[in-house]
Amino acid sequence: MNALARRLEALLFISSRPVPPEDLAVACQCLELEVADALQELRDEYAGGRHGFALVEVAGGATFAVTDECADDVRRLTGAERPDDLTPALLETLAVVAYLQPVTRADVAEVRGVSSEWALASLEERGLVEQQGRGDAPGAPILYATGERFLKLFGLRATGELPPLEEFSLAASEVEEIRSRLLANAERRRA
Amino acid sequence: MRAEAGAVAASPVALDLDLDVFDGPFDLLVTLILKDEIDIWEVRVSRIIAEYVVQLADSGEFDLDATSQFVVLVAALLEMKSRLLLEEDVDEELEELHPDEAAQRLLERLVRYSQFKNASAALRARWEAHSGRLYRNVAVPPALLRRPALVGSLPAEALPGALAPLLREPPKPDTSHLADLAVSLVKELRRLRLILGAEGSFTFAGVAPEDRLERAVTFFALLELHSSGEALLRQTRHFGDIVVTRVAARARAELAAAPAAG
Repeated sequence: MNALARRLEALLFISSRPVPPEDLAVACQCLELEVADALQELRDEYAGGRHGFALVEVAGGATFAVTDECADDVRRLTGAERPDDLTPALLETLAVVAYLQPVTRADVAEVRGVSSEWALASLEERGLVEQQGRGDAPGAPILYATGERFLKLFGLRATGELPPLEEFSLAASEVEEIRSRLLANAERRRA
Repeated sequence: MRAEAGAVAASPVALDLDLDVFDGPFDLLVTLILKDEIDIWEVRVSRIIAEYVVQLADSGEFDLDATSQFVVLVAALLEMKSRLLLEEDVDEELEELHPDEAAQRLLERLVRYSQFKNASAALRARWEAHSGRLYRNVAVPPALLRRPALVGSLPAEALPGALAPLLREPPKPDTSHLADLAVSLVKELRRLRLILGAEGSFTFAGVAPEDRLERAVTFFALLELHSSGEALLRQTRHFGDIVVTRVAARARAELAAAPAAG
């Protein structure tokens, strides 16, 4: 490993949160480009099953994470538990916030068609959704957005890494099927 | 009903709200709701009332006009909301909508919603893959902890000594300073009737005792005299003295014969 890789290793060892490459560059008084190369070297060093942890890039920075094969041992030692599972309603609400953020409670309710007060409060309590000021709409409603914990728990560098929403659109045939069913209903209503 | 609420909104109720959907003065909220700019579905009226009560308690002042204004406005909001909950208006709107148009709108909503539903399935896959990952997590340095733990600074033998006082029964609280209430309603009624019979009229300040609780009993007795028709109560201004006058037996009989007039 070259000297810069070793210095970055020390920085990541001492940091409790993912460190953005620009911060690493400032600390090492070098260019971000050099940091990127050195991080790659560090990643290779920790890859390939030679260590109990690996270098991961998450939530806008680089950090060390325990490899899956060692995770259970760490849990037994520290008593850390896996986060509680998310219900379909919570995941759905989280999807709306993640793609449309920042959103108001009313925005979420409009997409889902049901009041989402409890779901948002529950996501906030779990730290997956954060309040981010208030909107310009009448009454200055609270704006919700995802934060660092969301990125970490979903293994994302940034929300931009989520697949585009269009990928999840219904297929034309599915839309057509729903349309014909709805129109048939409308027909029956008129009769 | 909307017009009514608009009319009373002219007189301001000073209350600043910090709700989920709204941050600002109460009057503005009412105006925005009346203009349909804020959906009353989103407003928790109970929170508004709770904040108002807290503000009332904090200010220590009780403005009867402003408070009744507030009660009227909140009642109007509750009525609007309860009507919405009964879906009267919603039904009307749907009736007007052409079935084809309704189907088209529903389709658009379903198509949009299904994107997020499918996206949530993709999120679940990511969650299952990543949520168990353990990241580097450095403990808070002891210097930053508010109170360092006292490790081994006390001998274990000190423990029984610390426990003993906790096991001792505490002394019974002294209640000797609490006196029983000296006045009963029946006695007070008797006293007031005597004064009323002898003098024909008296003022509340003239007969009321010093003690707050006893004054309350006297006041209660006055109300009793009033409701039985034995006396007339008159108070010319708020918190002013109350003048009590005897009602002659004959007048009382007339009052009893025509209760609606009283």
